[in-house]
Amino acid sequence: MIFVKWFTTKGWRHTVAWAACFFALFPLYMIVLTSFKKTTSLQVGSFLPTGFSLSNFDELLSNPLIPFYTWMSNSVVISLIVSVLSVFVGAASAFAFSRLRFKGKKGSIQLLLLIQMFPSVLALAAVYSIMERVQIFAPGLGLGTIGGLILVYLGGAMGVNIWLLKGFVDSIPIELDEAARVDGASPMQIYWRIFMPLASPVLAVVCLLTFIGIFNEYILAALFLTDPSQQTVAVGLRAFIGGQFETNWGPFAAGSLLTSLPIVILFLSLQKYIINGLTAGAVKG
Amino acid sequence: MRLLKGVRIAVILKIILVTITLTVLGFLMQASLLAGDVQIGIFFGISMVLIALVYFTKISIPMKFFLPGILLLATFVITPIIYTISMSGYQYRTGNVLSKPEALEMLQKSDAFAQVPGEKQFDLKLGWCDEEYGDAKDVANAKVCALVSYYPDDIYFLSTATTFTPLPKDRIVFNVLGIPTDVTKVGAKYTWEPFYDDEYATFDKTTASTRFKYNQPNTFLRAEGYSVMAVYAARITYDAKTDAFTDIKTGAVYKDNGRGNYANTEDPADMKYPGWREIIGLENFIDLVNNPSVREPLIAVFIWTIIFAVTTVITQYALGLLIALTLNHKIRGRWVYRSILILPYAMPSIMSILIWGGMLNTDFGAVNNLISLIVGQPVSFNWLGEPTLAKISVLLVNLWLGFPYFYLISTGALQAIPQELTEAASIDGATGGQAFRKITFPLLQQMLLPLLIASFAFNFNNFNLIYLLTGGGPRDTLAGDSAGATDILISYTYNLAFNTGGNQNFGLASAVSIVIFVTVAAISLYGIRRSKVLESFT
Repeated sequence: MIFVKWFTTKGWRHTVAWAACFFALFPLYMIVLTSFKKTTSLQVGSFLPTGFSLSNFDELLSNPLIPFYTWMSNSVVISLIVSVLSVFVGAASAFAFSRLRFKGKKGSIQLLLLIQMFPSVLALAAVYSIMERVQIFAPGLGLGTIGGLILVYLGGAMGVNIWLLKGFVDSIPIELDEAARVDGASPMQIYWRIFMPLASPVLAVVCLLTFIGIFNEYILAALFLTDPSQQTVAVGLRAFIGGQFETNWGPFAAGSLLTSLPIVILFLSLQKYIINGLTAGAVKG
Repeated sequence: MRLLKGVRIAVILKIILVTITLTVLGFLMQASLLAGDVQIGIFFGISMVLIALVYFTKISIPMKFFLPGILLLATFVITPIIYTISMSGYQYRTGNVLSKPEALEMLQKSDAFAQVPGEKQFDLKLGWCDEEYGDAKDVANAKVCALVSYYPDDIYFLSTATTFTPLPKDRIVFNVLGIPTDVTKVGAKYTWEPFYDDEYATFDKTTASTRFKYNQPNTFLRAEGYSVMAVYAARITYDAKTDAFTDIKTGAVYKDNGRGNYANTEDPADMKYPGWREIIGLENFIDLVNNPSVREPLIAVFIWTIIFAVTTVITQYALGLLIALTLNHKIRGRWVYRSILILPYAMPSIMSILIWGGMLNTDFGAVNNLISLIVGQPVSFNWLGEPTLAKISVLLVNLWLGFPYFYLISTGALQAIPQELTEAASIDGATGGQAFRKITFPLLQQMLLPLLIASFAFNFNNFNLIYLLTGGGPRDTLAGDSAGATDILISYTYNLAFNTGGNQNFGLASAVSIVIFVTVAAISLYGIRRSKVLESFT
């Protein structure tokens, strides 16, 4: 009877939570299991670890044909530059949308929304041909270069970021700006002296979300960067398993693990801020 | 000098920064103009003017905040969108990618030629002669030169790629069989020198493809082996005045059909390739409705896209909410559960999707292994290869990817609902279930509706998942299926536009993308109206 009582009050909650955790962890467990196996296949005879080996990591990190460090640094450099710049540029627009009064504000924010809804994958062909033309006169910024990809990402991240940032900016109390305005500060001064210091934690979170988003991007990176030494980690790792064979799952899993770990740790340590941001729009209503 | 009023570090910094930007843009403009790309050059020019105006004057203060974002959006988002929209009015597909002059040039150059029936077969002796038929061994000017003869009619001539020179019979040297072998020289100079044996070795490379000149219009001679020459003619001729091709053999006339091809005036389906990009107005849109081979896959894909997006939102929300309700009580280890449950959301999705792809493999996948372990006998579900199972797989993986998000936002929303409401309900005698159904759930619904709609819109265009997990498949290409079982509109359209090796139809793909755009925009606008996001702007 005691058990029944425990189960109806708390036990079922643990049961549901355990089941959900099992579901959540299953693929992650497979990544860990596969990456520490001796063989490179994804196949498991038993779900329990049968041995421990670092050979997959070794293959990934020391095979001269696999420029993993380069991929990793490409991904980090691209994501970092795009996230910092896009938040920097986006914050200015978000501030203007949120705090300044001007004609056509409603129209322009609706236009921004509308633009966001265009299936961007289709605009790929046009972006591609623009960058092909840029390649002719500015070889460092065109097709096949990291610089060009960063520019394209910056353009693409703009809409989402302005939206996301606007939500955050709206939640920053307006009283301080108003006090400064009464004291005769110009919009520029309010922006740099008052708004930016207040918003910096928020900007950091949006920066992180953008970083993860760019880090995850596959199709543009795959289309743009064809030279292996310029590829990102997502494109590079996918090549391991893109073929018909299962043989390279080991290094792939090891690479996924190394790639995901820093992001997961960052995410977990900042989860409070991220969740606040995600729910801000919802709970406000 | 308003500019210098109150010179401060900020102003100096601004001037330096703007000047650097202008300089870089100026260099780029110069480079693009030098490369002949006027459009891009003009774009840089306009950008420079705008930047200078906005940052060195006080025309508009909001613009100072907006301009960098606007320039980026204009270049990489708005221009491509306009381009795509305009392409939906074009015949633009495999075989119709060039401009008309390019296509015309290729058609005229094309190797569409055939042996002229009923013409003579000539005897051939290959050799050299120089441009003026002077010293044939003068290497600098020497050309491959055919000594061609048809002795029944006493026809003898020398032919190169560019010249045709008849010879009188008395200059020909015959062998014992009566076949010409040489040309007598005039004065001290050779007019013609036969190939040495070793020169025949290189014959294939240098001569086999040469078109030797013949004295009939629109024809040429081509060596058939080492000793026979035959008369060939282009199959089609082009007349610039009427802008029409004529098939010499059949007499069929091919005219510009106004849709990007030269088509047979008798039989419009008989077209010359390559064609070119041509404006065809709304034809791509009409095709979407009228052409069964376009319409039927599109309808199937559209229905699946809706099912996919709706089911995804419902399952993700249901599971997320269930977990949120479960963990919305103080139980031991709640923090641990929470951290584990948001892992799928924290993990880079590209890695998770790919690893799921491996786990769903029929032969070695962990999912089949796990099921085998549970039911006690080996199973071999073809998760990604069988249409229904593939659909289930896509939904399952998407559930895994998305439920933590709904768990997080549901938790946030649940905590925002005042406790007093449910307490009041329980005082009035409502059971927990009743209170949830009548109070908590409707409130949640109201709060989360905008996010549910946003999630629907996102999944409507969830390209990454479909592309990386199933590639839209399985699709029966042998049966001519253009759409796979798990193709959603965006992956289907991507395939239409960029399908490597197959038939690309960029015009049609653009039309489909506009349909997608309108659909998603309508749904989202409805959501926005409902959630009153824009209220703060009125």
